Amino acid sequence: MAVSCPIGFDVKSLRAEVQTMYARVAAAPNGEFHFHRGPGYAASMLGYDAGELAALPLDVTAAFAGVANPHAIARIPAGATVVDIGCGAGTDVLLAALRVGPTGRAIGVDMTEAMRQRAAQGAAACGLTNVEVRSGDATRLPIDDRSADVVISNGVLNLVPEKERAVAEIARVLKPGGQVQIGDIVIGEVLPESALRDIDLWTG
Amino acid sequence: MIDVFSAAGFRDVEITHRYDCFVGTTKERTAKKYGVIGVNVSATRM
Repeated sequence: MAVSCPIGFDVKSLRAEVQTMYARVAAAPNGEFHFHRGPGYAASMLGYDAGELAALPLDVTAAFAGVANPHAIARIPAGATVVDIGCGAGTDVLLAALRVGPTGRAIGVDMTEAMRQRAAQGAAACGLTNVEVRSGDATRLPIDDRSADVVISNGVLNLVPEKERAVAEIARVLKPGGQVQIGDIVIGEVLPESALRDIDLWTG
Repeated sequence: MIDVFSAAGFRDVEITHRYDCFVGTTKERTAKKYGVIGVNVSATRM
């Protein structure tokens, strides 16, 4: 059965547009985009710790394109299993790996290969052996049922037309009592048709 | 977002932080016009 999003964009096409956009970010993070990237933005506008970001490879943090700061919600505890949905180049999943320590696990999931490569290489460069980077998307997480203590994500759910399905996946993978710490965008007004049909607003 | 998590059975669903993440981008005017901001959302699985 074909899945459609509310205004009639084909979900497969939209997913392809998102992959293309973020492959571009991975290839050239300093290129022209309609959203901010990089560690300077993360620290100055989102409150990330500049020192923590500086300890990560620039290949990772340069492609950071989050919209909020999931780590500001609560400190992820040592020993936890964390899943980062749409981990991108890895900034949030590597920060999570540092917080959970060697007794915990940080699993990043992303549908864009170029981003997964940056994240995996970043983990290796940091000597983090508790990081796994897996291929997948928010509506089909490659994660076992009730296996995660914390699910994080940053600027991803707004890109997913099937939001109910994505949230059901989060519920599936979290243990009872598990925490959601998600950064995303919200809209304060009802958008007109012209804005709804602006593909840039669906892909970034 | 809040509604989707609440409907899925999560508890204590709340926005904890707000960020003007589009300030200085080419979409700043559009974001201001429609009240588009970055937020942190916290929730607990029952």
